[in-house]
Amino acid sequence: MARPHLNQTDQAPLTFQDAIQALSDFWAAKGAVLALPYDLEVGAGTMCPETFFRVLGPQPWKVAYVQPSRRPADGRYGENPNRLLKHTQFQVILKPPPKDIQEVYLKSLESLGIALGEHDIRFEEDNWESPTLGAWGIGWQVMLDGLEITQFTYFQQCGGLDLEPISVELTYGMERIAAFLQNVDNVFEVRWDKSLKYETLRREEEFELSVYDFEQADPATCRELFGAYEREALRLLDSYKAAKGGSVEERGKEPSPLASSPSLSAQSPRRFPLRKVYELGLKCSHLFNILDARGAISVTERVALIARIRKIACDAARIYVERLAPQPEVQPA
Amino acid sequence: MSSQPPSQKPVRSSRKTSASAPPTLPLLFEIGCEEIPARFLADAQNQLGKLFGDLLVKHRLVEEAKHSVQTYSTPRRLVAHVPQVFARQPDTVELVTGPPVKSALDENGNYTRAAEAFAAKQGAEVSTLKRITTPKGEYVALEKSEPGRPAVEVLGKILDALLRNLSFPKSMYWSPIEAAAHVPVQNKFTFVRPIRWVLALLGEGKNAKVIPFEVAGVRSADKTYGHRLSGSRPIQVKGFRSYLDGLRKHMVEPDPAKRRERVQQGLQESLEGSGLRAVADAWLEDWVVNSTEWPRGIVGEFDPRFLELPREILITVMRDHQKYFAVEDSSGQLQPRFVAFLNREDDPKGLIRRGHERVLRARFTDAQFFWDADQKIPLRDRLPLLEKVTYHEKLGSYADKVRRVRRIAGMVCEELRQQGKMTDADSEHALRAVELSKCDLTTHMVQEFTELQGIVGGLYARVQGEPEQVAQAIYEHYLPQSLDDPCPRTVVGAVVSLADKLDSVVSGFGAGLEPSGSSDPFALRRAGNGIIRLSVEALPGLDVLNLVKAVTSTEAFAQGDPLGNVARFLRERTEQYFEARQGLRYDTVRAVVHSFEAWSPPARALERARALEPFTRTEEFQALAAAAKRTRNLLKKSATSEDFGTQMTVNESMLSPGPEQELFRAYRATKDTIQQMGIEGRYEDAFRALAKMRPYVDCFFDKVLVMDNDLALRANRLCLLGELNVWVFSRFADLSQIESTASTSVGAPTVENNRQPINEREAALHDQKGLEQKT
Repeated sequence: MARPHLNQTDQAPLTFQDAIQALSDFWAAKGAVLALPYDLEVGAGTMCPETFFRVLGPQPWKVAYVQPSRRPADGRYGENPNRLLKHTQFQVILKPPPKDIQEVYLKSLESLGIALGEHDIRFEEDNWESPTLGAWGIGWQVMLDGLEITQFTYFQQCGGLDLEPISVELTYGMERIAAFLQNVDNVFEVRWDKSLKYETLRREEEFELSVYDFEQADPATCRELFGAYEREALRLLDSYKAAKGGSVEERGKEPSPLASSPSLSAQSPRRFPLRKVYELGLKCSHLFNILDARGAISVTERVALIARIRKIACDAARIYVERLAPQPEVQPA
Repeated sequence: MSSQPPSQKPVRSSRKTSASAPPTLPLLFEIGCEEIPARFLADAQNQLGKLFGDLLVKHRLVEEAKHSVQTYSTPRRLVAHVPQVFARQPDTVELVTGPPVKSALDENGNYTRAAEAFAAKQGAEVSTLKRITTPKGEYVALEKSEPGRPAVEVLGKILDALLRNLSFPKSMYWSPIEAAAHVPVQNKFTFVRPIRWVLALLGEGKNAKVIPFEVAGVRSADKTYGHRLSGSRPIQVKGFRSYLDGLRKHMVEPDPAKRRERVQQGLQESLEGSGLRAVADAWLEDWVVNSTEWPRGIVGEFDPRFLELPREILITVMRDHQKYFAVEDSSGQLQPRFVAFLNREDDPKGLIRRGHERVLRARFTDAQFFWDADQKIPLRDRLPLLEKVTYHEKLGSYADKVRRVRRIAGMVCEELRQQGKMTDADSEHALRAVELSKCDLTTHMVQEFTELQGIVGGLYARVQGEPEQVAQAIYEHYLPQSLDDPCPRTVVGAVVSLADKLDSVVSGFGAGLEPSGSSDPFALRRAGNGIIRLSVEALPGLDVLNLVKAVTSTEAFAQGDPLGNVARFLRERTEQYFEARQGLRYDTVRAVVHSFEAWSPPARALERARALEPFTRTEEFQALAAAAKRTRNLLKKSATSEDFGTQMTVNESMLSPGPEQELFRAYRATKDTIQQMGIEGRYEDAFRALAKMRPYVDCFFDKVLVMDNDLALRANRLCLLGELNVWVFSRFADLSQIESTASTSVGAPTVENNRQPINEREAALHDQKGLEQKT
């Protein structure tokens, strides 16, 4: 690449890992907790519990994390210079959003070495919606000299529930940002660190995932898995309902929910594995995406599958909020 | 005063405090906002002006809403400047009417308990009561005077109401940190984007005062903010002048008209001397104006090898996705350049230009990739893939749609072939085009650039060796999308477009997706407009109603019974098209579409409307229109009106000599003449012939009593009128729809009777009397 660097700082432009580091440092300094990437396939950082659950309810929350995100239909076998099946999001949630959130966000760009005075930053309308999560928000795509680098969203609903207070979600597209900083046209040319390129770490994976998702995934198996994960989620949700129903009249007899005594009933709502239910829903969501990329989803099935995933997500959100609500006082046994 | 109508509602009248004009102050109001979507901005600014003007009038701070408020806007602010508001509201006197005098005063002239109760309720002494005379009699009343309040005290509430009444297609709520958690969500303040500052200033210079007011946790102040790049320090404002100066010094041009000048200038100057020009684009110009505070054009370049891609694709990438103006030479040939607009003064190091060039290169590379990848599966092999593309939940896949459209196109081709307007080869091409028309929905290119559906199909069909007719028809089959869009250029294209739209409408109605009020989620009105336009401008003579009948009777549309609803819907579309696009008067259009010949074929209805319009204001047609209404009323009042002139026929031997026989003879002659003229399409001649009926009709109504006591005679006369109604008054145009020039009101007639001039009403009374004599 013979062209001059776009950012005119004296130092060499940030590597991919430096850029992640810089944003992590910036947001940690702003009081955000640095969470770990989630260990399941997700389509976006929004789907991680650190966002999906934490935006519900009244408790303030500030978190930042890197999240590799898979979108099988965007796969291009590692051949397209700008498209990836798995890309890297840097996700920030601030609840409630500070009044100067736009200014703070712009400062975060400066932490990446982008001299704002030399560029043109625009906030262009772009509202976000995820039918599978029952979530939507209002916001912008942030354009840096014509390049979309961030989704900036004021969440309005999540899991089908109105949010109070709302959260702001910032989703940085790290590959694009790094390519911009390093002035390269091809994302595989991005320097991950001083010696390795993005392609060394990721090209084969892109190729293999594309081959599987587009060609070799067995639709029947994917559908079976979808059904199995869903059944397991619904079984758990049913058990929760049963336990709740029972606990209404038995509440007086139940031991304190805070005591983790072994005598605690296996059916107690407190012991309900809520996050597992949600994870099973995420499994379904990823299988849906594979089936979609595989071109194996028919007209009516599509709508129905989305509705089935949404049901799991919305039920999980409801239970989460229910458990946040102050519990009625428990009489000593 | 004394002629006020009796009413319990207060009647207000302003009274100026002094004879000279009251003192006024300038007002400046700015809502500082996070970036408002460009597509909402112009409408928001309009609303602001209108609502604010109305509120100021309502609260007596300006005399007249019109021209009192000047508005401005940028993505980060909505601005209202009112050069003159009254410094204080004028005092008012309210006249509150109480009980009638006869119950308010006893026989001795003393106030009764009713009067006392009224006064007490109004918080006044009975001694202050007055007597007023109204058309309904004498009443007691009370004058309540209310002193005006200083504007600065009233305006807070007005500004609050103003903000709450601005509406946006999509709004949001946001929580100020101190927000009460117990406010239910639906009661929360919503706005297009978070409000970050409010400037509300009354007066100018040293005397300027902040109008105290708070919205969504933001307090009003006398400060504004410049362009983001100019720093986040507030700018102190002392009045409108200082506001404008402050903003312009900080890279904000608040006036969209001035920004538009900058954009137009930028387009010219940036290409000056190159012999090139920007491809004109009103939508894009609006977008730039409404998404910048300080627009500035720069020219970028791209690799000429991308010019291999079709112009449509290149422009879509530049315009829709990057908001760049495309550049062409004087012969209209696209050049490897573009004009981008910055939202800042300059790009001194060329960094921004290079950034844009890089993004465009990536975009074009994508498009090139899509183009190449898409060729691996030609359109003709993509039909099975359509089974998996949803058209609508209730209406199945696009493959289902294509099957339905094909059936409709077959019917249209058959009809046009019989009329000699299509050859067998044309039909084949049309059906082939239908088959391939939706295949591009499965391509990468359309999935990426959805706005190019149809166009991409046409381009691919061409390179994949489909006949040119087929490719052209696919390319144009979404046309016309708006009133200004052209129709497809070929008959084949028009047939494909019409069949596609007719399927959307008929199947849409069958699935309960018909438009209602302002809601038309399936854009069926647009499809309906397209159908009418095509049947007039591209396929004249096509009998749309007949086609709808044939289509709705097939199995594919068994759902529901859409015929009646679709027919009514398309009639309304016809009316709308005749008025909006053909510039015909409302009553002309009504007359034509409600005639016995009705609205279809629309092309014929249009010919009749054009022929009719010049006649409608003539004395003859005005008289005939009155007679038509009168006839209609008479027939309506007679129990078996349906039968007269249709089932029963006139008994000639019963006609009395003179006006009655003369009318009958004239009618017989005219009927045959105009029938022939109608067949030949000589509508003007037909209407001229109709005009000659006037003296006979007038004379008949003048001299002959229809509602004769002799029932047989009456029935025979009603028969005569019945025939007249069919053949003279409604054959080609329903003359009763013609607006009377004697009535001065303009606009849509609603109930005929409301608009009848006096002599008509008298005529109706006269007929009514005849009717009542017997019954």
